[in-house]
Amino acid sequence: MAQDTRAPATSEASWFCCGAGWGPCGSAGGGACGNCSSGSRHCAWPNTSDACFAITRPDKCGDDLLRRTCGHTFYVKNLCGTTEIAVKIADCGPQTDLWCGERSCCSGNCATNRLLDLTPAAYSAIGNLSSGIMPVTLRS
Amino acid sequence: MSDILGRRRFLSSAVLGTTATVVTATTIGSVAPEAMADPKLDVEAGAPDPNFVEGRITGIAGGLLIVTSSDRTLNQIHLTKATSVWKLRPTTADAAKVGDGLYARGVRMPDGTLAADAIWLNIVNLQVHITSIGRSVVHMDHHGDRIVGHVVSGTTAAVYNNTPAVSDLSLLEVGRHAQVIGAWRPDTNEVELATVYAAA
Repeated sequence: MAQDTRAPATSEASWFCCGAGWGPCGSAGGGACGNCSSGSRHCAWPNTSDACFAITRPDKCGDDLLRRTCGHTFYVKNLCGTTEIAVKIADCGPQTDLWCGERSCCSGNCATNRLLDLTPAAYSAIGNLSSGIMPVTLRS
Repeated sequence: MSDILGRRRFLSSAVLGTTATVVTATTIGSVAPEAMADPKLDVEAGAPDPNFVEGRITGIAGGLLIVTSSDRTLNQIHLTKATSVWKLRPTTADAAKVGDGLYARGVRMPDGTLAADAIWLNIVNLQVHITSIGRSVVHMDHHGDRIVGHVVSGTTAAVYNNTPAVSDLSLLEVGRHAQVIGAWRPDTNEVELATVYAAA
């Protein structure tokens, strides 16, 4: 049965740049949905389409994720934080299957597998960009 | 939440040019209601974040950074003693240079400037494949672009399979994927490595 993110689930989350940017981000583009922007509350999800899923393959890590398409809203919270933010899907990612079994923890609370990428604007609202990755809870 | 609001009040008072307390800053009425609210609750999903700035530093005047965003909008960012600064590692405000790329988060002031809670200078987060490893450099492929990553003694660390960060990079392997947190060098387009996440 596919994982239903209407109920809170845990995951690792990293961040990615998209839209106009500087340095290596200069060629990032608007993402799979065309409107992704580093300065907006956007995210990437591994199952936005068949083509996306074929790249990210969360199933290889045992995650049976529901299809969620461009514009879908997730509510995300640092596993050790109290602030919840809302983000919309604007890209495909992360490439979950490269990191199967990876685990991030904070204060003894842990999450496994990368199921969500956040833009810098979103990630920095609940975490420190220099951390690179953090455990989160997410729900629809 | 009270901690967040407290920090925001402190930043606001700092930008108002005083070391005054929260009470003083709010008493003079210079802090707009929107600056007092928690921005994380104010931003709609998918919307531009008004309390976040992305761009490159085009001017520095004392504690004020002039930043041109990649969409060409101009932003002014106040640095205060409370602003945390990252440039390859936690550092101080004088590390900011014209030409640096930047992400900043803070409090939007009534005049449109941003009082920075935190700035990250030249920070990049790259999903790469390692193409070769030298004595003090790691060559990487980033979506078809070649990137040179410099190992910085005393700073660069690796995280293998969730283990605590270590300075030993010997378990990195050519051909494997990795995630790199680093600091971009605007002059050469190369990267200094802060943390390399890899499977061992």
